[in-house]
Amino acid sequence: MTDNSQSRLRLLLGKLNPLGLPLRQKIGVFGLAFLIALPLLVSLPVVGQFVVMILPASSWQLGLYNVAAALFFAMFAMSWDAVSGYTGEISFGHGLFFAVGGYTSALLNMGHGLSPWISILGGVLLAALAGVMIGVPALRIEGPYLSLVTLVAPLILLQVFIFMSDIFGGEQGLSNPDNLIGLGFVSNYFLALGLFLAIFALLWALTRSNTGSILTAIREDEDAVSAAGLSKAKFKIFAFVLSGAIGGLAGAVYVHTPVGSPTPSELMSVIINVEVIIAAVLGGMGTIVGAALGGLFVAMLPDYLNLVEFTVPVLGKSISEMSFFLFAIVTLFLLNIFPGGVLRWGIALGRRATGRDGSGEEGMAADGGQSPEDAGTNPVAQTMERYQEYYDNMFGGDDE
Amino acid sequence: MSADTRADEAATATGDREVGPDDGVLAVEGLRKEFGGLVAVDDLSFAVQEQEILGFIGPNGAGKSTTFNCVTGTYPPTAGTVWYKGEEVTGTPPHEMVKRGMARTFQSFAPLEDRSVLKNVALSMMEDTLVTTDGLLGEFRSDAREICERVGLGDRLHQTPAELPHAGMLRLELGRALGTDPDLLLVDEPFAGLSGPEVESVSELLLELRDEGMTLVVVDHNMRGLLQLIDRAIVINFGSLLAAGTPDEIKNNPEVQEAYLGGGLE
Repeated sequence: MTDNSQSRLRLLLGKLNPLGLPLRQKIGVFGLAFLIALPLLVSLPVVGQFVVMILPASSWQLGLYNVAAALFFAMFAMSWDAVSGYTGEISFGHGLFFAVGGYTSALLNMGHGLSPWISILGGVLLAALAGVMIGVPALRIEGPYLSLVTLVAPLILLQVFIFMSDIFGGEQGLSNPDNLIGLGFVSNYFLALGLFLAIFALLWALTRSNTGSILTAIREDEDAVSAAGLSKAKFKIFAFVLSGAIGGLAGAVYVHTPVGSPTPSELMSVIINVEVIIAAVLGGMGTIVGAALGGLFVAMLPDYLNLVEFTVPVLGKSISEMSFFLFAIVTLFLLNIFPGGVLRWGIALGRRATGRDGSGEEGMAADGGQSPEDAGTNPVAQTMERYQEYYDNMFGGDDE
Repeated sequence: MSADTRADEAATATGDREVGPDDGVLAVEGLRKEFGGLVAVDDLSFAVQEQEILGFIGPNGAGKSTTFNCVTGTYPPTAGTVWYKGEEVTGTPPHEMVKRGMARTFQSFAPLEDRSVLKNVALSMMEDTLVTTDGLLGEFRSDAREICERVGLGDRLHQTPAELPHAGMLRLELGRALGTDPDLLLVDEPFAGLSGPEVESVSELLLELRDEGMTLVVVDHNMRGLLQLIDRAIVINFGSLLAAGTPDEIKNNPEVQEAYLGGGLE
């Protein structure tokens, strides 16, 4: 027994040694180190100027704000991935959770004078409750039907916000509640980064443990999960509640920073709901890492395009005027060439380049417990297959 | 010896008096399943004794699979009672039945296509808990590997189900069922599509499991290969009991021969 725990400890220490990490994880650690060092780097003499150039804004202060906003969006994408990427039950309205978290916390703070630290907790609890309200129906209605429910739920909430605009501020949203830690560019950046790292670490650990394998097994075949003596209902509700709570947490903290405010367009618009899905699928659905990367990319690409002064000759429009249009075109293109997500493609490429096929190492795979080579199925294909089944049944396909 | 007397008791139990909770490790009384107007299982009663290998035989469409879908909780029965280990378990959901120690294999193989043989078996060994550090460090329980070796997939640990031959899929089904550490194992059509030597090696494995204390119910529409393996058989037709007894009794039963159009018993 002690022998066993000792070997576990040694295994853990081995995993934590940065030099022993696989290439992809070294790159990830380097990227995180860069994000942590970013505010320091911009103040260095020569390096600083270079770093400001690669930030998605014209000054380092705005740059940090934009990266902080992108970090929040990446948290939204990770919360979507935790439920939809892993279980294959696609939510088309994850803004519901961001809005419930954000609005609850803002109202508790402004209306009842609670400290943001406490009101955020209230937002998380209510968002978790919203997770139960979507998760419990998800046991009976699945696939496209559930997606419809998730699509309609935030629309209903928006209507409530509109007809009770004296409380919720209608389509304009609420004014800004108290900030958690003032207006500082650096402090708010670190607030966003700290929360991002905490959520990432939590979801990463959870999805790399047995829980992650069970959730992806639900995506692949629910009957096989039952046959393994595992309660699919319990795990599905858990995924929705976890995702709701984390989305609500990100939404609640977001409104208490200078980069965000409790408005429908920032927390629950159709564009937000769709962008979250695009971010996770583009990065690599069902990997958490992919959702984080995709979230940062999707949030920052329009910022970068806004900086481009170049005017397209024939149209007479500048790149910055067309930033959203171009963003959509680029995303569509990337989704077409990397259907399994950029992360899976990158890992496969890296393995070919380093001459390792990855099949020898079993266990903690970087991509959420599956190698890209496994059966050649990716989560998007699996989910499509799930939906195909439901459509076949809907139109009276035979019940075999 | 004692298995025979128990078998006789069970046979009479199914015939005369009602089956009760203590008649066997699995006891089924008056099980009925209707789909709309169709009666798939018609007041079927039987009991399975501990550590026996029971053949559950019937022609195609006799209601074998429906019976076991009702027993394992896949369908709620229309009427009737199921006891397992003396407790009533009628309508208990499938994953609860697995946790209680009843596992099954699927005739229409249902492995997880997206992961390797080893990970398929490892899944069925996982605890039903939401938050765990198990698996986080990438260590696999060495017993998952042992089970793979035991069912004859030791050299195919990292292949996906799609890469397995038909017999390999059956072995994987057995491996996934064994991963749940069952006391009673329902094996659905294990011999369909297997060659002679493969039938022999699967039979050997099943006998070995029985010797270690497991109870087995083997469902098949074909008696070929089965009669050497089983201690006792139950034959059903049109959803109700046709005959019960030792393999020899079953082979010589005129009603059974009739159901099988007088052939196919050799």
